[in-house]
Amino acid sequence: MAEQTTTPNSTMKKGPFRKIRAEMERYKTLSKQDQRRYVTDMLFNNAMYIIIVLAIIFIAIRVPSFVSLSSIVNIISLTASRLPIALGVAGCIVLAGTDISAGRAVGLAACIAGSLLTTANKIFPGMGVQPLPLVILIVVAVGALIGFVNGFCMAKFKLHPYIVTLSTQLILYGTILLYLKMGENNGQTLSSLSEGYRNLVAGTLFTIGTVAVPRYVLYAIILAAIMWVIWNKTTLGKNMFAVGSNEEAANVSGVNVMRTIILVFVMAGIMYSITGFFEGARIASINGNTGFNYEADAIAACVIGGVSFVGGIGKISGIITGVLLLQIIFTGLNFLSVDQNILYIIKGLVILVACAIDMRKYLVRK
Amino acid sequence: MNVKKVLALLLSLCMALSLAACGGGGGDAASGGDDSGSKPAGEVSIFYYTFNDTYLSSVRSAMDSALAAAGVNFNNYDGNNIQTTQTDSIDTAIAKGASILAVNLVDTGSNDAAQNIVDKAKAQNIPVVFFNRSVEESVVSSYDNCAFVGTDYTQAGKMQGDMIGQYLVENYDAVDLNGDGVISYVMFKGDEANQEAIYRTQYGQENADAVLTAAGKPALKFYDETNTNRYLVDQNGAWSAQAATDYMQTILSQYSEANNNMVELVIANNDEMALGAIAALQNAGYNSDGKTVIPVFGVDATDAARAAIDNGSMIGTIKQDAEGMANAIVTIITNFQNGNDKFDGIDPSYLEGTWRVNIPYSVYTGE
Repeated sequence: MAEQTTTPNSTMKKGPFRKIRAEMERYKTLSKQDQRRYVTDMLFNNAMYIIIVLAIIFIAIRVPSFVSLSSIVNIISLTASRLPIALGVAGCIVLAGTDISAGRAVGLAACIAGSLLTTANKIFPGMGVQPLPLVILIVVAVGALIGFVNGFCMAKFKLHPYIVTLSTQLILYGTILLYLKMGENNGQTLSSLSEGYRNLVAGTLFTIGTVAVPRYVLYAIILAAIMWVIWNKTTLGKNMFAVGSNEEAANVSGVNVMRTIILVFVMAGIMYSITGFFEGARIASINGNTGFNYEADAIAACVIGGVSFVGGIGKISGIITGVLLLQIIFTGLNFLSVDQNILYIIKGLVILVACAIDMRKYLVRK
Repeated sequence: MNVKKVLALLLSLCMALSLAACGGGGGDAASGGDDSGSKPAGEVSIFYYTFNDTYLSSVRSAMDSALAAAGVNFNNYDGNNIQTTQTDSIDTAIAKGASILAVNLVDTGSNDAAQNIVDKAKAQNIPVVFFNRSVEESVVSSYDNCAFVGTDYTQAGKMQGDMIGQYLVENYDAVDLNGDGVISYVMFKGDEANQEAIYRTQYGQENADAVLTAAGKPALKFYDETNTNRYLVDQNGAWSAQAATDYMQTILSQYSEANNNMVELVIANNDEMALGAIAALQNAGYNSDGKTVIPVFGVDATDAARAAIDNGSMIGTIKQDAEGMANAIVTIITNFQNGNDKFDGIDPSYLEGTWRVNIPYSVYTGE
């Protein structure tokens, strides 16, 4: 799982600087040819960060306001809004699977949150605004249920994740459409969300000068921290990587594979529902389209960030980097006023190139 | 063994459930009538380009109740925004013995998809009513039993532009936040390849400019002068609020009152995008009680947009008459069924030639 191709003895010493110094010493002992290879390896291993920096420099030269405070806050908050779903789907990818039901799960969660937290309730006519903690609980429970169904079908019937989540994606979409048809709503957009709800999510956390940082940035950081702990410090996290690397081996060494798969998907489901809860308040108008295609960007961000489809490989920091890179590029292209048609092509190329560069370091290792 | 049993049980449960669901739906639509008994004519098959378009959901609800009231046996199909899906389900419906097709076309970019459907229907002598999304005259006229119910798709944009121009002339100084004498605006386009979106984008701005220049004011200025398209489009072609929110949020990070270059006007192709832009504005401290209101305009007059207009966070929208459209379609369907002239009972002022019915738009700026 360690991504560096360093020799074991260099990791024996502690402290970041000592590590770098050891690396420098090792570099000096290498032959000319090895030195060159070492540098290219270094470049490729940190390709994501280099691309980000180059992209920022390029865009900032063309449009200086790209690196203004408000623009940076904007990129961070857009990144934060997309982070939870990526954190969720990443677990599924680590299991060598995928989850294409994520976007619709986001949509359903947003619809449920919106329908319970609106001042003009048409889905449940006459019902007032429900208490926030209750709604959060319901939304999280629905997300967990979706994840459970996904994980259970996968683990129990040994179905491919793509098939299972394709099915649940359709089921969820139908459910969303039916849900929006309930009561007097007639498939209309949900709006008039309560101030409390919108404030809780999109309210101001603090202001830097005149630039307001929305609250969901903090929540995204908390979620990332929780996921980091789960991935790195708990048995579930270790089991997840074990199952993702080699399911048979994990099973033989006593890992409860089924339980692990189900829990990872439940965790993912919860992340989707939280994304939905946030998106509902952030966009303040929810319909059958909400959440559509979200999984595409989330999966792309994970893969760009080094969560490999091979399974068993991935880091939380990588996911954050991936989401951030995609966001910087999208926002940057917007700043550069690039023709909208070209955007699709650039998006495709970025994903392709980023993944190719990223895969290279694993291929080298093998 | 156990797994197999569970699987078998699950599968049979699924089948039982879906059968029950179908039965329920059929009963709903045909008011419990037997398929083979009282109604020898096949079902009226209605194809929507997608089930999750807010405006078309209103049309669908109105149409469902109008058809049920008329005792028509009908069935709705979801094209899921994919022309192939829609054409496939039309094939199936024809094979099933549909008596009339009502089609809300997915692909309006060319005539081929529509012509293809007309040819299929003509071969079986089944009448076709296209609605909402535009179909060209040459296609509709190629078959006698064919009609189009829509709106003059340039009209919404023109009315929106006129409404904006008028509003600006009346409130020029209040809207011009930085007092430079020019209104800078942003335009949100719903879909790159949709006729309606293209014309709304064009006329929304052109007509506003015309009203402004007639009143001796300068034309609108796109907030980002390097953007030669002069619009921002939903990349998924979904006319979605989320696309507008994200764009608006990004815009607001760069353009603000503090920088003296604030976007002073928001024009959106539909209400979803207008509401999305409002959400971003509200998050940035605009467009709510006691705050500066950046005028936002949409099209559709959805319930949500009307609520926003009533509480002052949005200025105006163009109303598409969902019930009017549904009633016109149902009238044509019953005319076809009874062998009457296809446009019997439709307000003659709505007719255009012998091929289309235009449901008029109206301006909505609050009650």
